[in-house]
Amino acid sequence: MKLSILSFDESAKEQILDLYGKTIDEEGYIVETDNPKQRVLTPKGEEILFEEWAGVHKGSEAFIKSDIFSLIELAKRLE
Amino acid sequence: MNLLEIVFEKLKTIFEAKFSNSFNNNRISLFNFSKNSTSLFEIRGGNRLSLDLTHANPEEKKQVKEKIIDYATQIEKEAFLVNPSLITIKKVKENLPDEAEQKLLEFYKDKLTPEMYTALEASIVVRNAFKRKEDIKELKQSIAKKHPSWGNNLCNMVSEGYFDDYFKNLYLNMFKDESFDIRAYQRNVESTVKSLPFTVFVTKYKSYEELSGEVRFKLSNLKKYGTGKLLIHGIGYENIITTQKLGEEYKSEVTDIKIDINQSKTIITSTLTF
Repeated sequence: MKLSILSFDESAKEQILDLYGKTIDEEGYIVETDNPKQRVLTPKGEEILFEEWAGVHKGSEAFIKSDIFSLIELAKRLE
Repeated sequence: MNLLEIVFEKLKTIFEAKFSNSFNNNRISLFNFSKNSTSLFEIRGGNRLSLDLTHANPEEKKQVKEKIIDYATQIEKEAFLVNPSLITIKKVKENLPDEAEQKLLEFYKDKLTPEMYTALEASIVVRNAFKRKEDIKELKQSIAKKHPSWGNNLCNMVSEGYFDDYFKNLYLNMFKDESFDIRAYQRNVESTVKSLPFTVFVTKYKSYEELSGEVRFKLSNLKKYGTGKLLIHGIGYENIITTQKLGEEYKSEVTDIKIDINQSKTIITSTLTF
């Protein structure tokens, strides 16, 4: 896996989420726009606060958190 | 055609006249400009082409997602990240454990709790970043946030080398006890990490005078602000003798000294109460 030449700024996070059909619930967690009761999970099953969201890999399958533990897992898989 | 060229071709297709060839050869960032801006594209930071999605219509947004973002993440298997995390992951990658540190992690993998093990790995990344004089504040905070009662202490103890030596020896010595239980080792590690501010570790790398000074300094501080106890840990025959000697030296300054020694008489914890 590689880091993309594409990235997005903090200011565009909500717009990017919208492109993926996701939004933010009252408690600040990322949820499905068409089913706001369903929180989006990381591959490890963790709920994701909007402020902790780092991005996506594998299309819409894997939403990544920005904490060091998640980034280490991702970094190990980078070429 | 490389991915950058492919992306620029796709941008040209999606945005047609709005896209200029002069944008080629820039990195690409999706962005929301200030409300006053009406530009769809802008070059920022010298070589970064920024695309403001607020100025794209719904069909253009859909195409950006399907033709560009999905292409990068699904076909090219790339990670699409927010810019601050993009910077952080580069730092993390550069500071991942080296071969020797991998061996150390292998030692602890089936001995520590999974939470403590992943925090140990993260703390090694922090230690490596610190050695390279990089800013470690955010990385360290991330560990402390996940483990408020011991994350910060663990990070400090990894930086000071306690997992290279002390906790390894602790395991090897506890393992000799007939009644050894891995959960007892895990509890011991966690309680020791939590109690770092009121702990002195006796090691062969410090002279008796240094250790005595450390006990005096911590006793003095803890009497003013602390928990009313100081723990002195030692592993091995010589360190047990030194720990007992320190207790003797300071017994007149404390109200009680409790000494715990394991079955094999290789691990000592002396608790000074005051």
